[in-house]
Amino acid sequence: MNSSTVEASKLSKAFGNKQVLQDMSFGVSPGDVIGVLGKNGAGKTTLLELMLGFTPPTGGAVRIFGHESYSLPGSIKARVGFVPQQDELLDQLTVADQLRVIASFYPRWDSALITRLCEEWGVNLYARIKSMSVGERQKLSILLAFGHRPELLILDEPVASLDPIARRQFLEQLLSISADGERSIVFSSHIVSDIERLANRIWILKEGRLDWQGDLDSLKESIVRLHIRGAGAELPAMAIPGVLSLQRDGAFATAVVRDWTPEVQDALEKSASVQIEVEALGLEEIFVELHR
Amino acid sequence: MFILNPQSGIPIYRQILEQVRRMVASGQLPPGTALPSVRDLALRHTINPMTISRAYSILETEGLLERHRGRPMTVASQARNHSQLPKRLQQIGPLVEQTVMAAKQLQLTEAELVKTVRREWEQNDE
Repeated sequence: MNSSTVEASKLSKAFGNKQVLQDMSFGVSPGDVIGVLGKNGAGKTTLLELMLGFTPPTGGAVRIFGHESYSLPGSIKARVGFVPQQDELLDQLTVADQLRVIASFYPRWDSALITRLCEEWGVNLYARIKSMSVGERQKLSILLAFGHRPELLILDEPVASLDPIARRQFLEQLLSISADGERSIVFSSHIVSDIERLANRIWILKEGRLDWQGDLDSLKESIVRLHIRGAGAELPAMAIPGVLSLQRDGAFATAVVRDWTPEVQDALEKSASVQIEVEALGLEEIFVELHR
Repeated sequence: MFILNPQSGIPIYRQILEQVRRMVASGQLPPGTALPSVRDLALRHTINPMTISRAYSILETEGLLERHRGRPMTVASQARNHSQLPKRLQQIGPLVEQTVMAAKQLQLTEAELVKTVRREWEQNDE
């Protein structure tokens, strides 16, 4: 037993002979908000489904609150909330009925919170689900995952169909959930600016592997663009550690590097006698650079 | 109190660090001034609370902020606030360096740059 919310070691998943996830080890601690980034097909949904125990791993293990995900006891499942990419609402019901159905599964259902959020988010309790827009369905499906006040909330692209105002309300709600430092959130999204606001940690998935994981702050400090200026007309040949891309132009060069530190900069400036100016990159640019 | 831009490549905790240091050094935040709580700041700017706590902890270690149980953090009483001139100059150094570099790229003369700075300074005073 440990105090981690989620703990995975060498987690792998293959469907037939197609390897979808390989060798992923990671942890989620109370208070963490993890932003999961990856191109389409990078394995984000499979990863979240493995964590939730919807499907067994083909290698390694993932545990939630100390229990193997694939065989979670009901008492642990009740501590987890999930917003799927495709909602699982029942078309023939009204919003109020759907809320009642889900609430009946959870003894700790917080109906005051849900009533308040329905009002703030403009969700009409009497609307029939089949007549609702994709965005309205998404709001409802988020509410359904909030109501039992889960300690671990997993969201798979929850905001793709929400307008900017609704997205902001959603982010504010997630923040107030995480602000007590006790609950954890893992969410995947292509809306990088949302992740940039909300997440303290980032997982970047690439071809089924965890290409980068760590603090968002450290990510922004370690992946940067360098503007290099030599003394002469031609920049000297030099080995730039961790280089992702490089463009030379006479006495100048522009490079994007990973694992950058002030120490690396000092060493390079001295050994190659060049001047380096460091440009910080936003998360979207970092993501694109990691995929060049 | 702060101008925070989550989309900037500069991590949010560093944006907070720099702004608090600058405002304390200049006396804009006198000793005893209460800072917004981590939670308030997180909700007001819709940003992750941990990056804010991180900035506050670093500022506390530096002796710029003081933590009080059950009350907001404040600017330290004998803060090395209103710090010495060299230190304040050092803080504005990188900005000056950038401005000078840009001016040279634009092939401005020293006199032209100084004149522009003076005009800006006076306008800002009004």
